[in-house]
Amino acid sequence: MKAGYKQVKRMTGMMRSIHFVNIISMIVAVITGLYIADPYYQAFIAEDAVDKYVMAWNRWGHFIVAIIFDVTSIIVAYLFFFSRFEKPYKKVIPTKRNIVDFFEVLLNLLTLNRRKKFDSTHSDSFNTVYFAIFHLLLAWMLFTGLQLYVHVFPHGESSIGAWWPWILHFATDWTLVVSSWMVGTTATGVNIMDVRISHHLTMWLLLAWVAFHIYYQIWRTIFWKEGDIAIAVGGSKFVKENKA
Amino acid sequence: MADRIEGVKKLFTSKSAHVETNRGDAHYEKLFQSCQARIEELKTQTPSNNRLDIDDLLQDQGVNRRDFMKWASAVTGMLMLPASFTPLVADAALLMNRAPVIWLELSDCAGNTEAMLRSDGPKIDEILLDIISLEFNETIMAASGHQAEAQLEDAMHTFKDKYLLFVEGAIPMGINGQYGTIGAQGETFYDHLMRISKDAAVVVAVGSCATFGGVPAASPNPTDAVGVMDVVNGKPLINIPACPANPANMVGVIIHYILTGQVPELDSLLRPKFAFGYRIHDNCERRAHFDAGEFVEEWGDVGAKNNFCLYKVGCKGPMTFNNCSIIRYNESVNWPVGVGRGCIGCSEPDFWDKYAYERPMADANIKAPTGGVEKTVDEFGLGLLTAAGIGIGIHAAASIIAGKKEDGGEV
Repeated sequence: MKAGYKQVKRMTGMMRSIHFVNIISMIVAVITGLYIADPYYQAFIAEDAVDKYVMAWNRWGHFIVAIIFDVTSIIVAYLFFFSRFEKPYKKVIPTKRNIVDFFEVLLNLLTLNRRKKFDSTHSDSFNTVYFAIFHLLLAWMLFTGLQLYVHVFPHGESSIGAWWPWILHFATDWTLVVSSWMVGTTATGVNIMDVRISHHLTMWLLLAWVAFHIYYQIWRTIFWKEGDIAIAVGGSKFVKENKA
Repeated sequence: MADRIEGVKKLFTSKSAHVETNRGDAHYEKLFQSCQARIEELKTQTPSNNRLDIDDLLQDQGVNRRDFMKWASAVTGMLMLPASFTPLVADAALLMNRAPVIWLELSDCAGNTEAMLRSDGPKIDEILLDIISLEFNETIMAASGHQAEAQLEDAMHTFKDKYLLFVEGAIPMGINGQYGTIGAQGETFYDHLMRISKDAAVVVAVGSCATFGGVPAASPNPTDAVGVMDVVNGKPLINIPACPANPANMVGVIIHYILTGQVPELDSLLRPKFAFGYRIHDNCERRAHFDAGEFVEEWGDVGAKNNFCLYKVGCKGPMTFNNCSIIRYNESVNWPVGVGRGCIGCSEPDFWDKYAYERPMADANIKAPTGGVEKTVDEFGLGLLTAAGIGIGIHAAASIIAGKKEDGGEV
């Protein structure tokens, strides 16, 4: 370790695992999701049907990563409030301290690191709010996705019991109404196409989110010179001894 | 905006599409008793108006008793009743002339009436629709003008609170409903519907226009057309969407009503679950090609010749709830996917704007309420991503320049 610096732990092993599981899930979900929306490559038509299962494999992959995403989201939602390491919700509550912190971090970015009047040792309010937005988008993605999925169980039976489709209907039927409200309609009644459109648009919002996220973490690493990018890998960053 | 607020209010009250196919022996035994009692009572009544004899009619059309019973058992299955109900369903079919029906024609193309009347060699469904006691139907009645109105008044009076009101067509609400008027008095469609639905036992909206506004309500909806369920309140209401509605489902609803005196179980869009509880996709004969990724790429290509999946040429079966892939049309003769063109989702709200396109919606470029559907979403999304990229690029470039200056200043 460079002299005069100390190591600060920022992400636990669990948090980092979830982070990388989410990355892989998201890449797979986008690749397979685009195929499901509009099959953009052709199966080998000369092959026998028995040898290909292209759409089914795409749907399988899409649903598997979605369900992994669902479970990690439940863990993240739990940790948001009850983590013994760092409780992110404390940084999202609009207290005076958090609001000042939020705008100081934003100013730091906008002034290209000319102004840095906050403690960058621990997770700041700006980044925590940004992560909260991600998880809200993700939650919407999961609810709309499960609504699109639940109709494969018209009889309300599934391989793991009748409770599963029931709970999916209970938890996601409201997305029909909300999607219809968001997309807009001139007809009477709601339809599942609006849920699909909303699910599809949210993918783009998430991709835009990812673009800024990756850029901003690299930017911090370069400008702050505190090894922020290592947080996601080794779990810690480095700050000057006299700071905190 | 008011509709949208109303929609959000309904948010947690919406019923799920879950279809209960087995309610247990106790339920069905009780139902059987009550249906039997009802049928016996109906048998004592005389037909209200229609003098046609069903047995003669069936014989004239070359349908023997055995064919009729096969049909009855199929309908029993369609209505999700146990096989023991078959004789009751057959009886109910023969008693269909005990149900007075008033049929209204509003903002539409009469396609549902056509579907009911014009099949090539009427099948049992259509024959049965001949013997319902159809008291009023503008398209096929001989009377016109004041005479027709008098007949309507007479039917409403005679069968007050007993008639089934079938509504075909959307209700234009713009300029106080003046986009559609009817009769010598120039009554608006809205007033017409409200007056006649007031004394109906059950209101049945037939076809996509009457249920969801359909084509008249498609963007930009110049007449502010709405479906029946938007304006009729306080009456049992059944929606039978599709363009046109399948006569089999009309018969199913009437038989269910005659048999039980109740409306069938409905989903959140008031569609009978026996008909609209399933996606077309899940019972499609081309489903295996969907899973295999074998798609028709262009009309008439090798995939089309091999009956491959029509998803890439716009089939909306995966998003459409209807039973056409099971019961098909004209007594199982064929249906859209069977003849080699995709489903256009005609039984879904907003189908004209959001379903009826010969591409997957992710590749569609049509005008819809938001100015385009998924193609717009993709282009907007890509634009957004590009904008984000450019922003990042500018910031990064600025940072590099600024960073160098800072380094230069720091010694």
